[in-house]
Amino acid sequence: MHSLHASVSAHSRVNSGIRFPRDKSKKLSRNYMDYLCFRTLCCKGPPPPRPEYDVVCIGLTGSGKTSLLSRLCSEATDNVVPTTGFSIKAVPFQNAILNVKELGGADSIKKYWSRYYQGSQGVVFVLDSASSEEDLEVARTELHSALQHPQLCTLPFLILANHQDKPAARSVQEIKKYFELEPLARGKSWLLEGSTVDNMMAVKESFTQLIHLLEEKDQETGRI
Amino acid sequence: MKVKQSCDTGAQHRTEEDLIRNPEITPEDVLGLQKITDNYLCGPERNIHKIDFTRFKIRDMESGTVLFEITKPPMAGTGGDRMDFEQNAGRFVRYQFTPAFLRLRQVGATVEFTVGDVPINNFRMIERHYFRGQLLKSFDFEFGFCIPGSKNTCEHIYEFPPLSEDIMREMILHPYETQSDSFYFVDNKLVMHNKADYSYNGGP
Repeated sequence: MHSLHASVSAHSRVNSGIRFPRDKSKKLSRNYMDYLCFRTLCCKGPPPPRPEYDVVCIGLTGSGKTSLLSRLCSEATDNVVPTTGFSIKAVPFQNAILNVKELGGADSIKKYWSRYYQGSQGVVFVLDSASSEEDLEVARTELHSALQHPQLCTLPFLILANHQDKPAARSVQEIKKYFELEPLARGKSWLLEGSTVDNMMAVKESFTQLIHLLEEKDQETGRI
Repeated sequence: MKVKQSCDTGAQHRTEEDLIRNPEITPEDVLGLQKITDNYLCGPERNIHKIDFTRFKIRDMESGTVLFEITKPPMAGTGGDRMDFEQNAGRFVRYQFTPAFLRLRQVGATVEFTVGDVPINNFRMIERHYFRGQLLKSFDFEFGFCIPGSKNTCEHIYEFPPLSEDIMREMILHPYETQSDSFYFVDNKLVMHNKADYSYNGGP
């Protein structure tokens, strides 16, 4: 498509300043056709832009949302402060761009989360695997709420059991059991992965898997 | 969050003179503007939601390089050391880029802003870029709901419009004749108007 477009504009440039004497017109138009074929075969237009997906990122304060997303964008994380509103970031991957709307997890912000669900195509839920029992219970309540929310319940979920590097971190298996994901998330498309900012390659891989789920969902709904 | 980007929004053409006659200026009004405005279409007193832009950054999406970053210094407290800024100082930015900037395809622009203690239901920005009398690109971005007392950041991706070699050459040769108007709306009413101009010849 792009190389055809390029040859169309070449065409208009060629026409603008050249006069074809009548007796040579056939020869010139044949040369011009050769030129167009050459351009079409050899012109490499810019690659098509990557598809974009809108994703909402939630989780309790301190779970590590901002740090993970900043690292995915190759940004420094030494001065991360609690997010006190929304933070919308375009996170590039090889095959797609995720427009992630990250929401602060403090109580004063959490109560507004559902104001931002509209238009989301996927959800990233981040939890601190090493948090207290009390906090883990709050995280469970919030995840269940999200899984059942009318605007999110049909969307793919990526659940990140973050802070896996901490000694007190519960394993992914334990998290899966505690959060009752098997029964609760039945029939939905979801992924549960351990994560830590110390291993961003694995985090990228988790997000890539989310992108596959988003692509499948897109094809299902017949959208281009 | 998708940005609506276009060269011609198909809106009815309007002039600045048409608009300033209205008590309230709406998004549809500014989408009809065909050139940079001579004046600001609203004064700072319209910003009743106390929206304050605190940081701005541009990066190249292909290489990740940060091209430009500016942070608003925290205001000094009331007292003798407080400077009185000219009224329009916070509403106008002059950008100085090199010619290579015009060859970028995708740029990520991050804006950080705070809001006052009142929730905002629908915050929307329409930004229009012109070179001399020609509209280069129009961006329409809905931030949506803003939590009271929040600090928010948003990065949106600008696709550069395809620019011919001729236009690029002219833009480089004529600094600050590339200009933009940024209009901000709360619940479809204009509350803020910022301006910028641009040079691409790498110099002052």
